[in-house]
Amino acid sequence: MPEFLEMTVDKFIFRVATDRYYSGEGVWAQAEGNRVRIGLSDFLQQRSGDIAFVEVKPEGTVLAFGDNVAMIETIKVAIDLHSPVAGRVIEVNPAMETTPEVINQDPYGEGWLTVIEAEDWSPTALACSTRRPILPWCRNRPRRR
Amino acid sequence: MNDRKQKVVIVPCSGIGKTYGTVSREAAYEVTEDMRPADTQLVALSLLVLGDEDARAAVAGNLVVTIDGCKLACATKMVKESGGTVAKDFAVLDAYRRHRQFKPQGIAELNEGGQKLAHVLAEEVIVVVDNLSGDGGKDA
Repeated sequence: MPEFLEMTVDKFIFRVATDRYYSGEGVWAQAEGNRVRIGLSDFLQQRSGDIAFVEVKPEGTVLAFGDNVAMIETIKVAIDLHSPVAGRVIEVNPAMETTPEVINQDPYGEGWLTVIEAEDWSPTALACSTRRPILPWCRNRPRRR
Repeated sequence: MNDRKQKVVIVPCSGIGKTYGTVSREAAYEVTEDMRPADTQLVALSLLVLGDEDARAAVAGNLVVTIDGCKLACATKMVKESGGTVAKDFAVLDAYRRHRQFKPQGIAELNEGGQKLAHVLAEEVIVVVDNLSGDGGKDA
């Protein structure tokens, strides 16, 4: 079980799991050797709203850093998510097909999106942040809209 | 003996300014005004929130079908808090997942997709209404 930092912005409470990295758009990445599991941060899923559909690049897809890895459609928006790592998709969460709302329910656990076999996993080189910069990012983001 | 036929109470989302809330209300209007006016009664969620006695009595004394706009499920929760029995709860998001071709947009005025989604949702609701009414319940 990861530990969480919590932050309150207006009526919203955002949780940040401390055991992974975050990209600038709010995608988390967690390395398991050279396998990198990715998903939506609590901030990103709350900001996006109830999720209706998720389309994830299928297994075998080769991705460069920044390529579209998934598209999510919520009651508010449709957004493309970009891969925080280069590599090959080796596993897609089957729940994305049947029960995508699991992202809203458990963004850091059962709501993961996909696993990418990374070519060169280096979070600092790939512009991912640790938990510390993500907090002010979350705090400022809603007010910039 | 009271042989007066009970009506099925329909309680939609009250989310003004929200597309999915608008879909829920359009579906509710279609059911209560066009499809099954004799078998159904519309109760505004806002009246339940305000504690309106007539609204509370309506949900407490009849079977209720709720149509929620989002996963907060305010209509369903408020009916239960008001002493009502939710016979069936619908969610617009679930309806959209079943009918992805009808993407709702707009607020005060729904786009064509939203209107069609409201219509198919209303058709799903009247199946439940007819079962609850117990007589096949066609008004028209």
